[in-house]
Amino acid sequence: MNRRKFLTILGSAGAASALGTAGAAKAAGGTHTWPYYENSYGVLHDTTRCIGCRRCEEGCNKANGLPRPDKPFDDLSALDERRRMTPTAWTVVNKYELDDKPVFRKLQCFHCNDPACASACFAKCFQKQPDGSVTYDGSQCVGCRYCMVACPFYVPSFEYNDAWDPLVQKCTFCEPRLKEGKLPGCVDACPMDALTFGRRSDLIKVARARIKANPGKYADYIYGEWDAGGTAWMVLAPSASAVADEKHPLAETGHEFKALGLDTHLGNRPMGELTAGALGAVPMIVAFWPVLFGGAYAISKRRDALHKAETEAVIKEARDDMANAMDAAVRKIAETQGPGVADTARQAMAEVLKTREEACANCGHHGEDK
Amino acid sequence: MRNGTTLLLLAAIAVAGVAYLTLGDAGPAPAAAPALTSVSDAPSAMVIFPVGEKPNPEGVGMKPVAFNHLVHENRIESCESCHHTGDTVACTTCHTVEGRAEGKFVTLAQAMHSPNIARQMQENTPQSCVGCHTRQLQQQECAGCHNVVKPARPETYCNTCHKVNGLTKADMVAGIAGSLPDDRNAELAADTLKARENPTQLQPTDGPYKVMIDEIADHYKASMYAHRRHVASLMERIEDNSLASAFHNQPTTLCSTCHHNSPLKGAPPKCGSCHPQRINPANPERPQLKAAYHLLCMGCHKGMNVARPLNTSCVTCHKHSEARLADSAAATLGGE
Amino acid sequence: MAHGILIPAKDKLFNLGEFFTFTKGNILTAFILAGGLIITLVRFTQGIGSVANLSDVQPWGMWIGFDLLCGVALAAGGYFTTVACYVMGMKHFHSAVRPAVTTAFLGYAFVVVALLYDLGHWWRLPYMFFFPGTTSVLFEVGLCVATYLTVLFVEFSVAPCEWLAEKFPFLLKWRALVNRTTIILTIFGVTLSTLHQSSLGSLFLIAPGKLHPLWYSPFIPMFFFVSSMAAGGSMVIFEGMFAHKSVHHYMDATHLKEADEVVFSFSKAVSFILFAYFMIKLTDLLVQANTPYLCSGYGVLWLVEVLGFILLPAFLYAKGARERNLKICRFAAAATVLGIVLNRFNVCMIAYNYALPSAERYFPSIWEIWISCFVVTMIVTAYRFIVYHMPVLYEHPNFKDAH
Repeated sequence: MNRRKFLTILGSAGAASALGTAGAAKAAGGTHTWPYYENSYGVLHDTTRCIGCRRCEEGCNKANGLPRPDKPFDDLSALDERRRMTPTAWTVVNKYELDDKPVFRKLQCFHCNDPACASACFAKCFQKQPDGSVTYDGSQCVGCRYCMVACPFYVPSFEYNDAWDPLVQKCTFCEPRLKEGKLPGCVDACPMDALTFGRRSDLIKVARARIKANPGKYADYIYGEWDAGGTAWMVLAPSASAVADEKHPLAETGHEFKALGLDTHLGNRPMGELTAGALGAVPMIVAFWPVLFGGAYAISKRRDALHKAETEAVIKEARDDMANAMDAAVRKIAETQGPGVADTARQAMAEVLKTREEACANCGHHGEDK
Repeated sequence: MRNGTTLLLLAAIAVAGVAYLTLGDAGPAPAAAPALTSVSDAPSAMVIFPVGEKPNPEGVGMKPVAFNHLVHENRIESCESCHHTGDTVACTTCHTVEGRAEGKFVTLAQAMHSPNIARQMQENTPQSCVGCHTRQLQQQECAGCHNVVKPARPETYCNTCHKVNGLTKADMVAGIAGSLPDDRNAELAADTLKARENPTQLQPTDGPYKVMIDEIADHYKASMYAHRRHVASLMERIEDNSLASAFHNQPTTLCSTCHHNSPLKGAPPKCGSCHPQRINPANPERPQLKAAYHLLCMGCHKGMNVARPLNTSCVTCHKHSEARLADSAAATLGGE
Repeated sequence: MAHGILIPAKDKLFNLGEFFTFTKGNILTAFILAGGLIITLVRFTQGIGSVANLSDVQPWGMWIGFDLLCGVALAAGGYFTTVACYVMGMKHFHSAVRPAVTTAFLGYAFVVVALLYDLGHWWRLPYMFFFPGTTSVLFEVGLCVATYLTVLFVEFSVAPCEWLAEKFPFLLKWRALVNRTTIILTIFGVTLSTLHQSSLGSLFLIAPGKLHPLWYSPFIPMFFFVSSMAAGGSMVIFEGMFAHKSVHHYMDATHLKEADEVVFSFSKAVSFILFAYFMIKLTDLLVQANTPYLCSGYGVLWLVEVLGFILLPAFLYAKGARERNLKICRFAAAATVLGIVLNRFNVCMIAYNYALPSAERYFPSIWEIWISCFVVTMIVTAYRFIVYHMPVLYEHPNFKDAH
């Protein structure tokens, strides 16, 4: 490999990196697809209707052919402990307390409009589908679990105990069933329509209508309409009196959702946008740093060169001075003591000078960086 | 034979005793209702006209309302609940159809209908007719139906209040101008209120005794719904509720919670006529059939604080089917 | 050389005797490596769950928090030293460049090795180049680390070339080529380092609800980058301290003569950087109105980190450089390195998931910690191998033209 070839490779690697990151910046910080997928589906989870029967868990289990759990689904003592999704249970129902009354909430993937997991995945495993689901293709999953860090809802779970094909597992919105025109397993199983399936845009209207038609029944907010940039699955909570206790002298708005274990501080922009700024700076650094450091290098080089020239000039001057002085001295000696003595003196002086210069060169070399 | 006679005698005495007790219970019941005597010098009933300041020679306006002042004044804590300024003047003094400065430009319609008036920090928080009545629906005996389904409200719904018997055009014009004589007003009001008393209601026996709900029996066997018992129980609870008897003014009013959105007739359509077996994504606000049943039953039980059966106790209402039993047996085996 | 450095010759390339003497260090090394190998076997046949305490709420633990985040930050000495020497023209650091590049290369190489333990499908690591998820910060980190590791390998390759040149003379061509492109490699290296050092912080930008507000900041990439500079400078001093203790006999006169000067110059530089780091941390605290959090337990932790491990070493460095006191400088270096580790632990583990109940929180298992020690031990062993064989701490007599 010659130098040119090497440089070409090096350069193309740099260009590829720059292009890749520029693409990233465009995807992350550029124009958004709005209004996401217009006709995408969603599910409205009305917690005032949920009775905590775990039928959705059973429906999910069956629809996705997951292994049966140790505790059967009609054993409601499972609700006594706070559970989360696992690789074999993609949805679970938890019991919360609101105004001393039990409220049940189903946990599953929220199927964000602009999912954090998809934005975080570096192998493009996650995809927001036009039907509203966020799907995961494990065939190219590296298993880095950044999606789990990114997900604001703590949804994905990981098969830690599988050595050979450990994958991320999460609710699929029963995407294959949707394609067949069937409802998601959990929705199909819900005896209370606490899970209402429909177009996301319709569901927002449905939710608003329910809030309006039942004054005082609902907390006046649709969780997921905007949270984390909007989610396909949305939650309605019962209204509850804001409890002001010692710990919370000013009970916050949205406390109903907080009591249901939902994060009310996610903001209304997609989580992926939080990294867009940092990624957007990448091409700038790629463009600017080499110039900056190249400049610094050029300056230090120039400084060295000037320093060298200056030193040389000084040395030359000194040498000339010395030569002149020597000439004058030798001439004087020749005048007073004769040319023979002058020759000897010249030789002796030249030798002394040479040894001194050598020594000086050494010390000069070391002093140059000071 | 002697024994038989004794038994007959005993039975006769028992029947007489029960009859006496029952009659004795039933007898004083009307008397137990609060005696409606006025504590103020306000007229016991009045017609509230849509008073306006614009000239209205044709008497065009919303139909006036006959208002039973006596009943209301006996039900509330103080006059200031409605006369929120402390002045016991007519509502239309400040709240006219157009709104006046004295009434902070709150129109008559707003003053009467605003469902949820914001709390006032400095003064009494006013309340409207609709607002107060809506709150009354939270009473245990009302909440069952009223929390579950909002029945269709056709134009005739307004007639519940906005209706005065024997109203002439001249009365209307005078009423709008605020110049109707008090005695004529009282006469109209009394006539109207009298006509409202004791509306006829369908009786539990008019409906079926039991209803078999089996359209979607799948994992569970069909459920037998005790229709008559439920209707009787509902009616019993609101028997003495004057609010209910004033507003349940159609024979089928009580039916219209479960048999909502359908013409109010004695023989309503089946639930499955409107509620599909699978939710229709194009029409997601309409519950699927299974959910429609459950939402009604459980919603009403919840509203009326009926503790049993537990929402999650499926087999109280419908027994496991063989398929389901086999399924859960498999689950248990699988679990082990 | 005058003081008898053992330089491998053409007929005797290897000098492994040092590894087979019964010193305490060697025995400990053997113990950790043997244990590590067993855990490795378990990890790769039974799955991550068999050795790690990771959970669905805490997907990243010790292996990312220490091996990756700390590993990369502490390997920043490579770019820090090469920039100081080649770009800024501080030629008297020259003898520090090769050890710094060597440790940086080893650091990054073993970061990748450690990463394989943490990845579910470790053999699919290259997939990110085939299915590039360009919106992911992790993709950028991966791309930069991969490229930078290559750059470091090229920069480092001079040493093995000089070691093997007598036997394989064609390596000389490669060596000459690398030497000619030094400045390009250096600038390329610092660009890549800036990117991925900061991006390691950017990784957490996407999880504002999970990381405690005292550590979560839109400026976290900047914190990571600035602290990596401090870490780089401190690591050169810190490593030098150990190198002087254990492989002193492989250092030539130039190295020994320049070593102290390197310590003081770096101390001065790192002191400034730490002050700057402290200022931006403080500003971040104020502009984000996070001061109320200081009264909590996490606030105390934050204060310990910022006052004890940023501000204090900054002062110590300044004092040490001013008084030319080697001891103080080395102490400050140790404190800085510890501080960086503490910071990365806070971000990745301690202040992460701060809102969760303690029962769901993470504490690394003994095996995870062992693997981390195992990786560090491997680095040390590899470093020793290199130092024993290659001209890193001394100039090879055949290549005096290196300057």
